[in-house]
Amino acid sequence: MSDAIDHAVGLNAEDALYGTRRLRPEFVDGAEQCRISVLAPNDDQGLAPDVRLALAQRMAQLNNDAALQQDYQTQLAALQPSEALLALAAGAADLPEPLATIARHADLITQQPMHATEQHIRLLEQAGLSNPQIVALSELIAFINFQTRVAAGLRLLRSA
Amino acid sequence: MIPSVNLKPLHWHPYIAPVEVEEATPAQLDAMKVTPSNKKISEYVRTLAHDPDSYVARTVLFNAIMYVDGGLDRADRELGALGASIVNGCKYCAVVHARRHAQLAESDAVVSAIYFNRADVLGERDAAIYRFARRLSVTPSEASVEDMATLRAVGMNDQEIIDLIHAIAIFGWANRLMHVLGHADLHK
Repeated sequence: MSDAIDHAVGLNAEDALYGTRRLRPEFVDGAEQCRISVLAPNDDQGLAPDVRLALAQRMAQLNNDAALQQDYQTQLAALQPSEALLALAAGAADLPEPLATIARHADLITQQPMHATEQHIRLLEQAGLSNPQIVALSELIAFINFQTRVAAGLRLLRSA
Repeated sequence: MIPSVNLKPLHWHPYIAPVEVEEATPAQLDAMKVTPSNKKISEYVRTLAHDPDSYVARTVLFNAIMYVDGGLDRADRELGALGASIVNGCKYCAVVHARRHAQLAESDAVVSAIYFNRADVLGERDAAIYRFARRLSVTPSEASVEDMATLRAVGMNDQEIIDLIHAIAIFGWANRLMHVLGHADLHK
């Protein structure tokens, strides 16, 4: 069965790389379980699925991943998102709080994680995020940066 | 002659209060694997247990990527992890995985060269892996078809390259937890 990474890379069951990926079923299944745990968790900690998808779209764009950006945009559209979430997803800076603080954090950690400091966690707290929300947001940001790198690597492997 | 780097283990300290075992929910206790004989849980695990579902899912995937049998040599996976951790600025992960590389390779020549900014002296295979790890780790990725061709030229097959891609990518994840949610130093 195809998964989100196959879609992002453009792999179908006839491609050799589709089969080679499946020599590591624990990577394929593990990545899918992780995707569910950060984008559609049982307990969303008050970070709703539409906020998560909007952030995923924004971070896919920062990673120059057009396929994942489009995938998240389509999933977000199905949830009838607010104007503010569409702006968040599209990369806007002028956003209501707490989305503005969350967006600045997601941008920094995606692009320049080496520059993260304690102050950036305090800013999330000041924007009203709880500890479970700070951890859930961190896992989401980190997952998208994992997923975009797997997709980028597999695209190169297919074309080289 | 490059000297031997001395990498002392670091201790990690969270910026937020970790979950207290006495106050944990059933899902958090399950995620932390708390049992009557195992009540001493690290601050790292207790911090991430604030969101138990993602912690459990990622731990399963992380262990598969770094420890699964066959495929890419374990030292090469550690080299991918080290390259990612240096680019992402996670000193804690870099030290842990540099030490593991030295253990598995039974030599600290590779990690010493990297820590003393002498990646130019690495052998062909190590250089190809380290360069790919660095270039795939920046945002957006700068890894190229030429980098991939170099991995093939040093003898890596597609399954080994898939293993390497995952080892680098999972540190794009782990670094964004360890370096973002806390800091590391020599003090307990």
